[in-house]
Amino acid sequence: MTVRALVGLAVFNVFLLGIGIATLAALRGWRTWHDLVRIGGLAYLLGVALMGVTLSIELVVGIPFSFATIVLTGAALALAAVALRRPLARWRPELPDTRAQGVALVALAGAALVVVYLEALFRSARLSSLSAWDAWAFWVPKAKAIYFFGGLDEQFFRELANPSYPPLVPALEASAFHFMGSADVVTLHVQFWFFACGFAAAVAGLLAPRVSPYVLWPCIVLVLVTPRVVGRNLDPQADFLLDYFFALAALLVALWLVDREPWLLATASVFMAAAVMTKREGQLLVACVVVAGAVASWRRWRYAWPRLALVAGVAVAALVPWRIWFSSRDLTGDLPSAGALALFHNLDRGWPAFQSVVTTFFDYDLWLVVVPLVGVGVILAFLAGARTLPTYALTLYTLVLAGFVWVLWSFTELELPFVQDEGVNPIVRLSASLVVASAAILPLLLDAAWRGSQRAAEES
Amino acid sequence: MSCVVVIAAFGLVYLVRAVDRLDDISSTNASMNLDDREFGGGNSLVVDKRALYEARSLIPEDGRYRIAAGPGVDGATDLTEPYIDQYARYFLMPRRPDPSAEWILCYGCDRADLERPADVVWDNGAGISILRESG
Repeated sequence: MTVRALVGLAVFNVFLLGIGIATLAALRGWRTWHDLVRIGGLAYLLGVALMGVTLSIELVVGIPFSFATIVLTGAALALAAVALRRPLARWRPELPDTRAQGVALVALAGAALVVVYLEALFRSARLSSLSAWDAWAFWVPKAKAIYFFGGLDEQFFRELANPSYPPLVPALEASAFHFMGSADVVTLHVQFWFFACGFAAAVAGLLAPRVSPYVLWPCIVLVLVTPRVVGRNLDPQADFLLDYFFALAALLVALWLVDREPWLLATASVFMAAAVMTKREGQLLVACVVVAGAVASWRRWRYAWPRLALVAGVAVAALVPWRIWFSSRDLTGDLPSAGALALFHNLDRGWPAFQSVVTTFFDYDLWLVVVPLVGVGVILAFLAGARTLPTYALTLYTLVLAGFVWVLWSFTELELPFVQDEGVNPIVRLSASLVVASAAILPLLLDAAWRGSQRAAEES
Repeated sequence: MSCVVVIAAFGLVYLVRAVDRLDDISSTNASMNLDDREFGGGNSLVVDKRALYEARSLIPEDGRYRIAAGPGVDGATDLTEPYIDQYARYFLMPRRPDPSAEWILCYGCDRADLERPADVVWDNGAGISILRESG
């Protein structure tokens, strides 16, 4: 851990922010500097997602991975975005002037609480040792292999655990190593602190113009301080980054269902592509977002469904090179060994799987009361007359819960009885996805309930 | 409205707890020495950190090594024998594990079981040694 490593990491993250800003300039634009600052968190994670997907594809096609590759890739992405700015002009939204709205005192107070939390998180990240088992067993070794050998080293990517996991997180970690000047696994935790900051800023920036600060900031704080998030969001592995990508994709689709602005869906497609390239369960989560979006937009399906199909197609297309790479090397697949639809051969696993998933989501020691509050939010939004958002949220949460039951039910290598230990039961880790997404979905639901029929009328 | 009050109350109470917990983690991290911090998860299975540091200095970065693990390590945990090869792979990278490598990290192994003669390059006197095949 050196000052040089910290400075290098800061430069890397400013670089990612720059890529994201260039991309948002093409997709959305901004009206004022205040507006640009507000969408800074979204821009940053958009840069992370774009670089992660692009570097992963470059690794798969065999482009040597070096500092120059990273810089040139980022520059090419930013230049491509600048070049696309004019052709995409007619798709960009008419942005209101938000200067007159000012910043409410309660928003400042909420932001200050988040800053206090993030400052404490930074201090815990700064000198953290690499103790998470999966992190040292395969996530960081994969990153080291990319860093030291300049690509997807055949030996290490075959021998390390979970060879079918896509290389997005190792590629980003290897990039961080290059900017730090060494494979500094201690300072690497600070990279995940940047991701957490970006996520909080992205949710706040996207929702600030539409959700009351009295609703928005408590929801963000609540999710950030859940015991599991506090304890695990700095682990240098893919779980929480996947959750951030999923949550932002889910939020952007929710906003698109209401606003119908093309940039929201285009940006969501990047996060969906990043999610499927981060971990195999990203495919399940993205499918749930797309289906929930389709269900919530069934009344105008001619308009919505082709666009949602296009977005899903982008995510699938991003994954194809990686699937070809690991399939062509006969690496272990990412479906259950008994087959994806072998549920009925294992009927005895169904009820325990359901119990385990529900128990995990309602586990106070992991997630406090976040999931029950989302349930309350759905009911209140329906009662207030809203339809699109609560339908979307209800479908999304139900599908994800069902998807996780399927995971436990069909992966027979997870032996009965299920125990609530993350070392042997993946649901503990997977459940973070919906809880993290709740930082974005819960404020929308409560806002719909808060504003009642006025918002419902806007939605319809 | 009451729902927002509940969320805000939970948020504030647990924000204080979270900051306290993060402070504790920061203090623990700061009190670690450099070795403990670098070994991280390896602290639960690595018995003598010097062995892996010696391996790093003796085996060239483009070199190859193999792990010969056995039960004969003083102070080994239940995790030592089954996982020392995984941890060494992470810690010693870019050196490559190779079943036919001339460098051998003997972690409680029985040297008599080795196929070819090997010189002892380093030994901690408690069951861990670094060997180099001489034949």
